[in-house]
Amino acid sequence: MATTEPPERPEPEGDALTGPIPDPDAAPTAAELAHARRFAELVDKTLAGRAPPAISADDRALLEVATVIRATHGSASLAPSRQRQAIDQALRSPAAPGPASTREVPPRRRWRLAPWLVSGASGLVAAAAIALWLRAPAPVGPRRAAPPPEWTSRPADSLVGPIARDHAGDAGARIDALFADRLDGFRARRLARGGTP
Amino acid sequence: MASEPATTLARDLAQEHRQVLEAQRGNLEAMRPILERYAAPLYSTVILPRLGDAASAEDVLRDTLATAVEKIQRFTWQGTSIYPWLRQIAINKVYDVHRQSKRSRRLADAMQHEVASASDPDSHADAQLIADEERRAHRDRIDETMQQLQDRYRLAIELRLVQELPRDACAKRLGVTIATFDVLLFRAVRAFRKRFGERAEPDPAGDPPGDTL
Repeated sequence: MATTEPPERPEPEGDALTGPIPDPDAAPTAAELAHARRFAELVDKTLAGRAPPAISADDRALLEVATVIRATHGSASLAPSRQRQAIDQALRSPAAPGPASTREVPPRRRWRLAPWLVSGASGLVAAAAIALWLRAPAPVGPRRAAPPPEWTSRPADSLVGPIARDHAGDAGARIDALFADRLDGFRARRLARGGTP
Repeated sequence: MASEPATTLARDLAQEHRQVLEAQRGNLEAMRPILERYAAPLYSTVILPRLGDAASAEDVLRDTLATAVEKIQRFTWQGTSIYPWLRQIAINKVYDVHRQSKRSRRLADAMQHEVASASDPDSHADAQLIADEERRAHRDRIDETMQQLQDRYRLAIELRLVQELPRDACAKRLGVTIATFDVLLFRAVRAFRKRFGERAEPDPAGDPPGDTL
């Protein structure tokens, strides 16, 4: 396979995953050479356990395949210290069930529970208000005596009564009777409070 | 009279059962030996082969162990190891990662195969047997794909990724420059991915295989 003076040709995005794969002996382009070198360095770093976090999607997809091949042949395992750390963390996890008094709700769970807490608290407040209303004692203390009827608003039937046809035109007399009655009531109230008639 | 391995298996299962019961009574430290025993096979045979990314795989392992501790009350002992339960949690977490990151599920789908011992409720296979079976299934699938590659591509992958020889040593074995070896490996991994992905039948429902928890 020749590697000298390949023609310059930019590699299209995604070409590494979907583009045609040349035969092993085909001459690489400059873009392929550069990409191959970059990928080789990524593999180096991955084998050394320090894969860079930010790489292109194409390179990541290819690196994942390389890692799977290694993992399947037993070459990729978790360091004992990392494994121990993961176990310690799981057993210390706030999500782990334990005595309610000592268990701390993790932030994500806390936010997830927030709507339930709000609606639960609202429900409790509403229930307490209803209970208080139902159990509220009857008003205690001296009942105020009902005012005499002449102090209150009342129908005029007892004064006027049925109006006969031949007295239909005596409206003025009826109004005078009503006025006198209401004026009596007014005076009685004023006198009751110590006022002048 | 029971054979020696069967006796050992029964003893291990009985001990695991006691540890699970103890954990379910509230003593979570009883789970430590279980997690120590199964963290490695979960990482190397269940999670990493389906993700292909060591950092993400470590995160998923942490999440899997934390979920197991959190949900140990829901686990029902059925006379078999707790490992299949842990394995299913891990697989669900892997698919969660694929969903959340909108990453291709090519690897997870390609590694989707039933492990007979794990899926058979009557099987009393121990965790080691299940993990070995799964590892063998992964390797068969990888080897099958490797067989479809051209010889030089296959050799490049074997030297660099399986034997993990340095680049210059790989180039020397193939009689090429390092730059040429880099190109060979690059093309080899691309070819492998293409063939490997062709095996995977994407699941339109987006659900992981097996039972959900």
